[in-house]
Amino acid sequence: MSGSAPRRFLVGVGNAGLTVLDLLALNNPGMKGLLCVNNDPESLSASVVTDRLAVPEGDPSEGFLAIDGPFGDMVSGASSVVLCGGLGGESGSFLLPALAILAKSWGITVAACVGMPFSFEGKQKRELAASALEKLRTVCDAVAVIENDRLTGGSPSTAAVGEAFSLSDRTILAALQALQGMITNSGPVKITRSDIKSVLGVPGAVTLFGSGTAKGPNRLHEALEHALKSPLLTAPGKNTPGGALAGVSTVLLLLRGPADLSFAEVQVAVTEIERIAGEGCQIKTGVHADLSPDAPITLSITASSGGGQTAEKPTAEKSKTTLLSEIPEAKPLEPAAHVATRAKPEPAPVADSIKPVSSAKPIKSTAGASTKGAKQSAGKQTQGTLDLDSYQRGRFDKSEPTIVAGEDLDVPTFLRKGIKLTPPHRN
Amino acid sequence: MANEQIFVGLEIGTTKICVIVAESRADDQISILGVGETPSRGVRKGEIVDMATVTECVREAIVDAEEKTNVEIGNVWVAITGSHLRSFNNRGTHTLPHAGQIQQEDLDMVQANAKEVALPPPNTFLHTILQAYHLDGNRNVIDPLDSEGIQLEADFHIVHGIKTRITNHLRCVEELNLEIEDVVLSSLASAQVVVTQHQKDLGVLVIDIGGGTTDYLIYNDGAVRHSGVLAIGGDHITNDISVGLKLPIARAEMLKIQEGSATDPSESEGGVITLKNDPGFLGCDIDRRSLETIIHCRVKEIFELVRADIENAGGGMLGLLGAGVMITGGCAKLRGIAEVASEVFDQAVQVSTARNVGGALQTFENPQYSTAIGLTKYARLITKDAQPQGMLERITQGFGGLFKKGGR
Repeated sequence: MSGSAPRRFLVGVGNAGLTVLDLLALNNPGMKGLLCVNNDPESLSASVVTDRLAVPEGDPSEGFLAIDGPFGDMVSGASSVVLCGGLGGESGSFLLPALAILAKSWGITVAACVGMPFSFEGKQKRELAASALEKLRTVCDAVAVIENDRLTGGSPSTAAVGEAFSLSDRTILAALQALQGMITNSGPVKITRSDIKSVLGVPGAVTLFGSGTAKGPNRLHEALEHALKSPLLTAPGKNTPGGALAGVSTVLLLLRGPADLSFAEVQVAVTEIERIAGEGCQIKTGVHADLSPDAPITLSITASSGGGQTAEKPTAEKSKTTLLSEIPEAKPLEPAAHVATRAKPEPAPVADSIKPVSSAKPIKSTAGASTKGAKQSAGKQTQGTLDLDSYQRGRFDKSEPTIVAGEDLDVPTFLRKGIKLTPPHRN
Repeated sequence: MANEQIFVGLEIGTTKICVIVAESRADDQISILGVGETPSRGVRKGEIVDMATVTECVREAIVDAEEKTNVEIGNVWVAITGSHLRSFNNRGTHTLPHAGQIQQEDLDMVQANAKEVALPPPNTFLHTILQAYHLDGNRNVIDPLDSEGIQLEADFHIVHGIKTRITNHLRCVEELNLEIEDVVLSSLASAQVVVTQHQKDLGVLVIDIGGGTTDYLIYNDGAVRHSGVLAIGGDHITNDISVGLKLPIARAEMLKIQEGSATDPSESEGGVITLKNDPGFLGCDIDRRSLETIIHCRVKEIFELVRADIENAGGGMLGLLGAGVMITGGCAKLRGIAEVASEVFDQAVQVSTARNVGGALQTFENPQYSTAIGLTKYARLITKDAQPQGMLERITQGFGGLFKKGGR
């Protein structure tokens, strides 16, 4: 690396991570701070990312020892590292936590954006992925988890396998960019790192994520609608856009677009998300209005539901060798003998390092919160329960929105006020 | 115009395009000779979105009016609305070099000074409506012309909008080789026929709820004090019904017209409305209370937004409505709408149609024609004062300057 080394790194690990970074590099020619790490020389050589670290084939733990030095040379001095890749495979499950531990031991802010295997990939892969995820969560400041099964609506039999993986890659990429955008903090309205931790630092939580991109006079609405329709933001078993957000305590909303991105547009997005998530939800907003005038706006929504308390993160003082002992005991891998010899064994299992944090608010259960929200919003209405889509503009869907005091008045009033109606009875 | 006594008002609305042909009578009233009308296409929220289609619709409406009245139409007065229109009040001041009689050029100067404000770059003046003159501290002088004085001041209500949107509105008419006499704020046109001079003096709020917009205007002491346009109208009510009850737009519109009511659903008797099967439509039973809930919510919100805008404008104008609130426009026919407005504004509310006009009875008794009829009355009122000039020239100069006296 040259002397003007990037301060922020996006690191793609394994084949999935490499594919994601390739997509990113192709869409952003000349982008710096991209690094691919993989043990598959063929895919590495085919990558369009220029900075690559080849992990020797064979035992990943051995291979890792061959790259920890070069990796350190590259990222030392960086302010943040965001790792991405798929969990469940050999390389991702071992290398992602290992690289996270290394970067963290140098005092770098570390986040990860990872995909969990599809059900059809087998139980063993899922178990390995779960174990690796647990390790990642103990190390990283934030982890966004893309549940691949949810992307295909839980029924991969109806989706082409190639398309399912492609969808997974694109979603990881969108989440990666959102995470990077939140961490870089360059916009006039910022999401703090503690905000990110409060949402993506919750062990066991399900990550809710959606993003949308649009341009033109109705760009905000189209981007918001697309984001809310993301499978990861749809309530399981229902087809309500954004339904999974009901009752979450915090939502991270990131908007990126040209300089004419208006306050009213930001306000519309916030108001709509508040309406869906419920009154108790905090919206943490980040805005980057730094793109070229003809660029589209990109809106991303990140939240989490369920899970436990915020995990205690390892401190920078904790030695690298100690941390390395926490690398998952991946089943397909041999015990990390080399690493173990370098590391001082930790007597306590990783789970023990997760301590309750008194100030951490437990995330409300979705069901409970949505019941409360419905009760508050329904007011005096005691009528039935027509299950309406949460975001409908009907005939005004493609027209310039009428925004007054931050509200989109094209959305029916009764919807904005959360009033339930009796459904029509078909003869 | 071949006949100076004939005035033609053209309203390019969101749901209909309407041409009123009226005749000025000897008793200073106007008499409607006929109405040309065609459903509107290419207009959204009061603004042109498809110029070619709108031009064709305007042509159809003009031809319809010509056939019904046997009048060849060459000149029209055009109403305009849209959320881009804004208004404010401003005072102009002009000090004469020496004490002397106030001349017309002094009046022009004070008006020009009132317009010395920085509008947003794409905007142009539409109206500069006189409210009152003040001469050397003597307030509310009705006509200072020829009076002795040094310092002349005048308050104006100024309406402005985005120049290109106004121009596009007019191009649809000019394409048909029609001469545009003037372009008039819709609510100002409506007010000419739905309220009397006495009500303007007492203080009145005129709300015109059309298909795509809600236009409103406040009079007090005979002068316009505030005006506004909200890009919400009857189309939104129809859309709300369509979304809420999962009905096609056409069905929702029919349901609104036939069964719609803005009445508070908590006071409703409830019941079921049966929609019969039609080709392509599976019949269903609609809960009446749900329908009323949808409409009530939207109508109440419209009035609340109007009230909030007037309150934000300051001046305590809502406390000066001695003649209450007048509702007109197509949505005024909605059952229970006056009650909702009365609750929101805490004022006496009437649904008002065109008054003091003669001719085709069914036309002026229908509130949806108030704007187009009002255009003809407006035309009659100012024709004797205004010296018509080309529209492009007028746009370049801004649209103000047609008023010499307040209170219209």
